[in-house]
Amino acid sequence: MPPSVTHQLTWPRRTANRVRGLSRLSPTAAAGVVIIVCFGVLALFSEWFMTHDPVSSYPDRILQGPSYEHWFGTDGNGMDIFSRVIYGAKFGFGIAIPAVIIAVLIGIPVGLIAGYRGGALDEILMRIFDGLRVFPSIILALAVVAATGQSLLNVVLVLGFLDSPVFARLVRAEVLALRSSNFVESAIAAGNPTWRILFFHLLPNTIQGAMAQTAVRAAWAVRISATLAFLGIGIQAPTPEWGAMIRQGAEFMVTGQWWVAIFPGIALIFLVFGLNLLGDGIQDILDPRRRASK
Amino acid sequence: MNLLKITDLQTHFVFHDIDNYRREARALNKVNLNLNRGEIVGIVGETGAGKSLTAQSICGLLRPPAKVVGGSVLFLGKELLSLAEEDLNDIRGAEIGMVVQNPKSSLDPLTRIGDQLVRIHQTHTASAISVARSKAIAMMHAVGIPDPEKRFSAWPHELSGGMAQRVLIAMALMNEPKLLIADEPTTGLDVTVQAQILELLKDLVRRFEMGTIIITHDLGIVAHYCDKVAVMFAGEIVEYGTVTDIFRRPGHPYTKQLLASTPEKLKLNEAGSLGGQPPDLFNLPEGCLSQDRCSLASDQCRTPPPVITLETGQTVRCHFALQ
Amino acid sequence: MVLPLLIGVVFVTFMLVRVGGLDPVGLLAGPTATAEEFTMIRKDLGLDQPLWKQFLIYGGQVIQGDLGESWLSNRPVLEDITTRSFISLELLFWGIGLGAAIGIPVGLRAAFKPNGRFDQVTRIISLLGFSIPTYWLGLVMLFVFFYLLGWAPPGMGRISLMVSPPQFVTGSYLIDGLIEANWEAANSALTHLILPVLCLAIVSAAPIIKQTRAIALEVIASDTVRYARACGLKIKTLRAIVFRNSATPIITFVGTEITGLVGTMSLIEYVFAWGGLGQYGLNAIVRGDFTAVQGYVLTLALFSVLIFLIVDIVVAIIEPRSQLN
Repeated sequence: MPPSVTHQLTWPRRTANRVRGLSRLSPTAAAGVVIIVCFGVLALFSEWFMTHDPVSSYPDRILQGPSYEHWFGTDGNGMDIFSRVIYGAKFGFGIAIPAVIIAVLIGIPVGLIAGYRGGALDEILMRIFDGLRVFPSIILALAVVAATGQSLLNVVLVLGFLDSPVFARLVRAEVLALRSSNFVESAIAAGNPTWRILFFHLLPNTIQGAMAQTAVRAAWAVRISATLAFLGIGIQAPTPEWGAMIRQGAEFMVTGQWWVAIFPGIALIFLVFGLNLLGDGIQDILDPRRRASK
Repeated sequence: MNLLKITDLQTHFVFHDIDNYRREARALNKVNLNLNRGEIVGIVGETGAGKSLTAQSICGLLRPPAKVVGGSVLFLGKELLSLAEEDLNDIRGAEIGMVVQNPKSSLDPLTRIGDQLVRIHQTHTASAISVARSKAIAMMHAVGIPDPEKRFSAWPHELSGGMAQRVLIAMALMNEPKLLIADEPTTGLDVTVQAQILELLKDLVRRFEMGTIIITHDLGIVAHYCDKVAVMFAGEIVEYGTVTDIFRRPGHPYTKQLLASTPEKLKLNEAGSLGGQPPDLFNLPEGCLSQDRCSLASDQCRTPPPVITLETGQTVRCHFALQ
Repeated sequence: MVLPLLIGVVFVTFMLVRVGGLDPVGLLAGPTATAEEFTMIRKDLGLDQPLWKQFLIYGGQVIQGDLGESWLSNRPVLEDITTRSFISLELLFWGIGLGAAIGIPVGLRAAFKPNGRFDQVTRIISLLGFSIPTYWLGLVMLFVFFYLLGWAPPGMGRISLMVSPPQFVTGSYLIDGLIEANWEAANSALTHLILPVLCLAIVSAAPIIKQTRAIALEVIASDTVRYARACGLKIKTLRAIVFRNSATPIITFVGTEITGLVGTMSLIEYVFAWGGLGQYGLNAIVRGDFTAVQGYVLTLALFSVLIFLIVDIVVAIIEPRSQLN
């Protein structure tokens, strides 16, 4: 059917069609979106789902297994694990979303300017990014957070900052490819100021590739922030954060109280998995070779 | 019996777009072509006319989302379109040789060129390594590679573009094919090297009595080296006949435009306009596909044009072929 | 190319501590120190010098192999690091070896039939592998194989306390035990190795599968393979061509991946109390032993640079297009 027909449909039908089209193009992306939306609902409306207060302890119910009263059992402080797992979704999103936004806000302008200006500035930036790659990202994040102060805000800032080279590199590569194209040359010839060329001509054409990476980078941020908390850096127990909860449960794994660490771990896996599914699916959709009808 | 008989070959690109609509680009629309032994046919047309796609459809080398949706390709009476991959493999490289456009990126970069020649020979024949080796060296000699014994152990990246194209020709001829398909064999080469390669090709084709298809967008090549020419437009062959006839008296308006736009005429400012875009393959017009850019177009062109055979023997797909 | 990188690496590790919010003077001096004591300590540590001078002094010490002293162990950091490096290398070697041995064939097979059932299944599994926190996987393994089934030893160290470790030859208890035919030691080392190695292999296989598949698909779509098909080469030959043309990018990828895996491995060491460099480094970070942290981060970075060099050499050997041949 020719594309013009699309516009004659009313928007609900069109949206429905597009959703069907996307899930046909990439079932993984669709599954990822479903998982992420579920967690998003948990994070936004956690009060509706929690059966107990996530940080009040019941001293008489320490380390009880899953039961009707406590669906996921209780931890070493006698806190309800189910409610804590639900509440933990807030931390997952609350860290990942601002961290990725910071990474994008730093990375994209740096990439734009480095790619457009070129020369020594570009060379130095790329060397720095290359240099950062020899450090394992987890260790670097850990060391920097430990050195600069252990607050939640700091975790977000450090993750965002450390992740910005990913976006800078992507955007720079696209800008390099576009810099000598006709439309940019003619924009320069028409006397547009540099900032206009960067933000009105180059940015819209480079942003797609960067946006496609956001889901995968959010997955990374969720994983690393939980790792930090697991090691007791940044977020401390008894904050109901998944990594911190796994840390609390670690010692009980070899004594049989599995529920303390298992449930927050599963929640963490699902959220990261959902983000990775979406990220993988986006790559599918952007890769025309995969679009072949089966 | 014809060496190759293509009847109503249709190749489409089929996929679903982001709004879940099934999109179908009709890239080849009922291509018909006959080829005899010892004949050199040139296929010309602009980019996107479906020249390379025709070659890939013949050999089963299409990649999704392109696929053959109808028609038949008879090679020595055998239907190629319904052959299994393994049976096609016995024909490709043996009875049908192929020379492609990018010789340097097409050769296996991790295998010495002599070994690649030996490999293609041993894949299709049961000959011993020593036989294959001497055949390879003889073939390298035949395609004009100097010092073949030494070049036998050269790596592809050490060759110039022209040399690599000669190696590709040697590869194609190793198993003495009955049909040779050369897809833009000289694009990207220097003009002098182009001439050498084409002379060589013509010479070898005559010697081995192969049927040959040369795909090109260069009318000069067709005029110099081909016996017959097929003019393609929007996935159709709009005119087919001997080079002499078509160059002397083109029957199809598109062929006339094409002939009028050779570089010499462009320089003299005599070129006929070749304006307009090729038709949207997703949305082909009813009737004649070239109606939008034809100066003769009238209401009659809304109906599919007949294929008219002129007295010279050339076939033309146009309502006004006889006028 | 390598030299500026090394200077940069030293600079980053230097800045890590100096620019951080932590004040080593305050740590050393304690809460009751007077203002004179503070200036004394500052002078002792060279902190009264301008920053660039401090960096030069630090760089000079690093070149001489002086990484300072750890206040946790009260021993030179360099000494701590060298003894523990061998312990970590054993885990890294088997873990990544196994991960690559699983990941590369699986990725290739998935690429040969893209969107086939095998591809779909491995794709989900490898994405899951991306998403599992390493330390959690280690804990679950300990729970299942130690607590529930009793098959594995507790996650403490790399050889049973009842067994005397073999003489140092390669640094690997397993190999050293086999060399001196000390079956008891070799067996104990093996049982201690299995879980952490499996853990690292699972985590490292996931990206290798994904990337191998992507690389092989790229090769399959290349002119080379299309032409090889036009030559009618057998499917087996085609696969060999795909494999060999994928080898260089795959090796390069695995090389760059080792950098990240060293970080992952630290977490595995932490969970299994492996006692190697990773555990040492994480402890140093958690407890704020910044001399040790500097040494640890520096060592990891140098190790990555070394791996990159090795990859370059390997690629130069197998690539006919490289200068070496």
